[in-house]
Amino acid sequence: MFPVKPGKPTFKSYLPQPTEVKNPVQGMKNLEAKLLPGEIVVTEVNFVRKCVGPNSSPDDLWGKLVCTNFKISFVTHGSLPRQKFQYTNRLLGEHDIPLAGVEQVVTVNEAKGKQKVLGSNQKLKFSPTELMVYCKDFRMVRFRFDEAGPDSTKKVCLAIAHYSQPADAQLLFGFEYTGKCFHSSSGDRANGLDPGSSLQTALFDCSSDWDREIKRTGASDWRVCSVNEGYAVSPSLPEFFVVPASLADQDLKQFSVSFAGKRIPMWCWNHSNGSALVRMASIRDPLQQRNLDRRICSAITKSHPKCSDVLKSDLDRSLPNIQEIQAAFVRLRQICVIEPFEENEERWLSSLESSKWLEYVRAFLKHSVEVVYMLEGQLCSVMLQEEEDRDLACVVSSLVQLMLDPHYRSLGGFQSLVQKEWVMAGHRFLDRCNHLKKNDGEECPLFLLFLDCVWQLMNQYPAAFEFTETYLTVLSDSMWIPVFSTFLFNCPRHCAERSRDFAQSESIKLGENKALRFPCVWYWGHQFSVKDQALFNSPLYVGKSVTCVHNGTVKTFRRTKKSHSATLRGPPSLPNGLTVELDTLTRRNSLALRLKPDPWQPREVPESPAERFSCEWLSRPVDLQGLLLPQLLPSHLQLWRLYFLRWVPEAQISRGGSVMAFHRLSLLADEIETLQNQLRQHRGGTPASTPASTPGTPDQESSRMYFKAGTPDDLPSTPDYLTSSFPFSPVGNLCRRNILGTPFSKFLSGAKIWVSNENLANETL
Amino acid sequence: MEKSGSADSLGSKRSSSRQPSVDSLTSTNTTRSDRSAHLRSAVSPDAASARTDLGAEVLKESSRIAEGELQLLPRESVQDTASDVTYICPFLGAIRGSLTVTNYRLFFKCLDKDPAFVLDLPVGVISRVEKIGAISAQGEVSFGLVCKDIRNLRFAHRYQEGSLKKSIFELVNKFAFPVSNALRMFAFEYGQPFPENGWKVYDPLAEYKRQGLPNESWRITKANEHYDVCETYPATLVVPANIPDEELKRVAAFRAKGRIPVLSWIHPETQATVTRCSQPMVGVNGKRSKEDEKHLQAIMDANAQSHKLFIFDARPPVNAAANKMKGGGFESEDAYQNAELVFLDIHNIHVMRESLRKLKEVVYPNIEESHWLSNLESTHWLEHIKLILAGALRIADKVESGKTSVVVHCSDGWDRTAQLSSLAMLMLDGFYRTLRGFQVLVEKEWLSFGHRFQLRIGHGDRNHTDADRSPVFLQFIDCVWQMTRQFPAAFEFNEFFLITILDHLYSCLFGTFLCNSEQQRLEEDLPKRTVSLWSYINSQHEEFTNPLYVDYANHVLYPVVSMRHLELWVGYYIRWNPRMRPQEPLHQHYRELLAKRAELQRKVEELQREVAGRVAVAPPEKAGSPAGSPVQTCV
Repeated sequence: MFPVKPGKPTFKSYLPQPTEVKNPVQGMKNLEAKLLPGEIVVTEVNFVRKCVGPNSSPDDLWGKLVCTNFKISFVTHGSLPRQKFQYTNRLLGEHDIPLAGVEQVVTVNEAKGKQKVLGSNQKLKFSPTELMVYCKDFRMVRFRFDEAGPDSTKKVCLAIAHYSQPADAQLLFGFEYTGKCFHSSSGDRANGLDPGSSLQTALFDCSSDWDREIKRTGASDWRVCSVNEGYAVSPSLPEFFVVPASLADQDLKQFSVSFAGKRIPMWCWNHSNGSALVRMASIRDPLQQRNLDRRICSAITKSHPKCSDVLKSDLDRSLPNIQEIQAAFVRLRQICVIEPFEENEERWLSSLESSKWLEYVRAFLKHSVEVVYMLEGQLCSVMLQEEEDRDLACVVSSLVQLMLDPHYRSLGGFQSLVQKEWVMAGHRFLDRCNHLKKNDGEECPLFLLFLDCVWQLMNQYPAAFEFTETYLTVLSDSMWIPVFSTFLFNCPRHCAERSRDFAQSESIKLGENKALRFPCVWYWGHQFSVKDQALFNSPLYVGKSVTCVHNGTVKTFRRTKKSHSATLRGPPSLPNGLTVELDTLTRRNSLALRLKPDPWQPREVPESPAERFSCEWLSRPVDLQGLLLPQLLPSHLQLWRLYFLRWVPEAQISRGGSVMAFHRLSLLADEIETLQNQLRQHRGGTPASTPASTPGTPDQESSRMYFKAGTPDDLPSTPDYLTSSFPFSPVGNLCRRNILGTPFSKFLSGAKIWVSNENLANETL
Repeated sequence: MEKSGSADSLGSKRSSSRQPSVDSLTSTNTTRSDRSAHLRSAVSPDAASARTDLGAEVLKESSRIAEGELQLLPRESVQDTASDVTYICPFLGAIRGSLTVTNYRLFFKCLDKDPAFVLDLPVGVISRVEKIGAISAQGEVSFGLVCKDIRNLRFAHRYQEGSLKKSIFELVNKFAFPVSNALRMFAFEYGQPFPENGWKVYDPLAEYKRQGLPNESWRITKANEHYDVCETYPATLVVPANIPDEELKRVAAFRAKGRIPVLSWIHPETQATVTRCSQPMVGVNGKRSKEDEKHLQAIMDANAQSHKLFIFDARPPVNAAANKMKGGGFESEDAYQNAELVFLDIHNIHVMRESLRKLKEVVYPNIEESHWLSNLESTHWLEHIKLILAGALRIADKVESGKTSVVVHCSDGWDRTAQLSSLAMLMLDGFYRTLRGFQVLVEKEWLSFGHRFQLRIGHGDRNHTDADRSPVFLQFIDCVWQMTRQFPAAFEFNEFFLITILDHLYSCLFGTFLCNSEQQRLEEDLPKRTVSLWSYINSQHEEFTNPLYVDYANHVLYPVVSMRHLELWVGYYIRWNPRMRPQEPLHQHYRELLAKRAELQRKVEELQREVAGRVAVAPPEKAGSPAGSPVQTCV
């Protein structure tokens, strides 16, 4: 259909190219995998070829394939034509895949026409000639063993399959790693850990963080309670959380019994108008339901300065469930990376639609806008209700806060938000990531879905966020590095118990902390150099101090209570599941429209008050430091290309993509920064006083921007290394068997590879 | 008519008293007038930025004017005003207000609403006015206006029985279709002076000189000076040096409509060329022409780098073959040695028209939420865009990477051929990506080479079912937009520029897109009698420039032509929907940063001067990078 492959933009290598024909035997001896503390080599095989294209090519890399207790490492002397600016992860080499990021391991014997999906503790009756590793981050890597010894090949394949499915959480590498780091007392510094003091992220593991949050949001009638200290009341709630001031600890303990997971309703955030956002699990005891409901509501009402009503938002009834989201994700992966690029071109849009991923992204954003409307437009407190309050509520409450509170759009604020609404609120990261690969039914990319929603907001309002889409992508990739406490556990108690047990079993002497402290992902220095971390900073972000100037005059927004009261008089409160009703109404109407193609028939789509609120807001100029609502026409939601297509070579725009704009903006932002520093120096008089004046940036030399404006040269030349997948590179990371005529496709005869595990596993050959 | 007379004088008085020319123009562009009025003073960010130059007082005043007053252009006159008209807005419901019709525009306002609601559009965008149904019980008649810019408007209006007064919609009918009513188009009335004359933007000799022409292999010929070789071609043509003028006429006899292969673009280094023409008149019997074969051979020989010539036939092979029945066809590889024929599968104008009709159904007024993407897919609009871009990409790739000359044609060589040659040139030559270069490209490949704008758009013509209408130029602009999305720093112009071009493609305010060929334009004396769109654009180019633009040397663009990257141009097709806000434009933020940099540079310099004055020892070290210097990356 479209056989054009632009020949020109080939990758220019900035590294010295090995000129001699690659001899697999040469220099293979002294290849060693780089190991982290606590990492051990399980098994390895030499003379392995890593494929860089669908067919064998002279560019393929020769090296050693190593399986450790942490990663699949491919060590090579060869080099790929790679991006000059490619970022490097301190925990992983260029060709490494963390075992936790392995989705599926497929071994193939080409000659015998056999293939098998390998699970843990399985046998392999043929010696594989090829190994395909499908990764959770959408990468696919292919190794060939033409020259390797069959026995060690088999061993490595089985080891990879086995170690990527650990039987117990303690076998996740993070434990070994943290233990070793702890043993060596200077561990933190040795691993390039940031000293904890520089972390500007509130972790919400102590009452002072909650206190500060109460003060920041002006939630005067709310208090931090410590009934759950030592996880005495609820196993999945954090030790400290916030409740209405009118409820005594005694009441809370009494209430807790009736809630699912003994989860007492937990405060999330307060609007400046006094409305509060609260999340709550379902009430298990039907006899208590009414009574309890009333008491909780009245307590929340009491905590509202105007004692306004509490509205409930039933998430289970109006949002897709865990299984549906996972199914959408699997379908999306299918069309983005598994299906041959050209084949689904023609049906791309409808395939994308039938994956339902964007529909779900939209559903979450839409629901969040409705909650925002209740808080901001109706001036009411809102209670998010979900069966367990550990999944959908995490997404909705975080999105609502992102839309309402500019603090969370800063880097530190965003991290605190994830900490508060996901980690501390007890989102089951371990189960949802399916790190133990025990229960596929529990797996769900809910956090990625949230990041996608954030990306949609960011895509519509790029200047409102301090961080970039690269940051979001890297954050999501960090889920598959099983080292960070952030993504390793199901709740804070789980974290505390597991690390205590581990410490005991390994007889690690714990100091005052009484627990192993796993590094959290927010210590970015653990993974990236300071320079690479600059990729997280958006050059467009305007800080808090900037007033919004429109048409030359400073606008004060007419979002007065008066103008809203008119719209408020509609339904007094949104009943549960109102959205569901509305949806069916629209659908019915649209069916009628299809039957009547009269262009003059006025099509009146019923508008919910939230939609009217949203339309009204959209008609005003944006205040990036104020309320931010997404545009939710289906035409406004886009596929997050950087995340989903970054490993697809065919989809890469060389010297193009939004990074080109990012590059330009960064250079300018950097110039501005330099000028500001100069100004400060001039004003401060002596240069010695300058470092003190910038406490936020410890290193004066380190700019906030990744790209720096340098000395002006004669002619600007295109930054060749920039592509639409920057800072990632699909080169060498993806080898799909999409080319017809590959020996591979012969026996597959067009069958889709990504059938469910069982189907393939049954083909034990 | 007394009523209209008074309104007229009122309007003109107002306009003459306080009408900065810039402002009057802003209000004429239909881009966001519907919206922006609804948004009150929240004019488009682009317009707002242009206004920041003006003082704050002027601003306040102009925004007050914009709130609901009709501002007339020079020689625009109010024809009638009806005060009891209901606009049935698909988004906001029925709005009562007054409707004014001038010889240029239709202006509806409702001041009861807060913010005031205003609808302001040139009558030129209207393609059809129709009465809907019978008189209602309330004595109202409904009228529907189908517009060329992807919207339909519906009005209801009280019908006074027995009244001799004509309905205001009869006036709309009259002024929207001046050609059918033997009236002059407003472009001929409008005489706004601009500092620059846009008709001078394109000088063929200067453009060919820029390309290094003539050279030893190519010559500039005046053979078509009187348009007698080909009446739809420009007067100035570039042909192979060894083909004399007499032979051109014989080649013309073998090419449809006499559109002989002529040079569009030449590669500055490899001398590979893009040439364009119409289909050869092969017919069912496989006719041949020695002169035509020699001509193509000469084109190939002019490029020493390659011994091959690629002929890109834009059509699907079936259509090309079907053309043989009508005497046309395609080059056989037997007759043309060393030529390789490639079909690009782009469909004809009728398919494209139908596709746009479907697209309009899908996007206006409301988007069906549940099946958006599959509905979009069923219009095939993006698929057509993809095929056009893919064709252009293949051409550009052959020329740049293959160093091979290419010949591009379709049937007549004025629709698909224009799309392909101009897009390929846009990929190959950075000049065309500048604000002025793009104007040259449109003037050259579209206007001078006879894309039949009058027929394809149907300016002022009531016959809305005319089979000659087709959104060929819209597709081209859409393709350009797709490229600007993929290469945000490679174009000097912005999205607003593209939208402005499209708006004035229909508005008939400027003479640029009138008529079908260079010959017709000269006959009508358009450069003297009308204003060029480029006069307007170049007089306030800041509004249309993309500040992110960098002129990287020898940067050939290879867009990724895949559905994964093509998007529906929401900012154009869905702009009437109040549930969308024009995308936060990056360049707006960039401008703010630029201003900030300038301010800081000033401050730093001031301080340095102060320090230097105070200390009076050695001057302080060089401060930062000087203003305006090209920024360069270092790691």
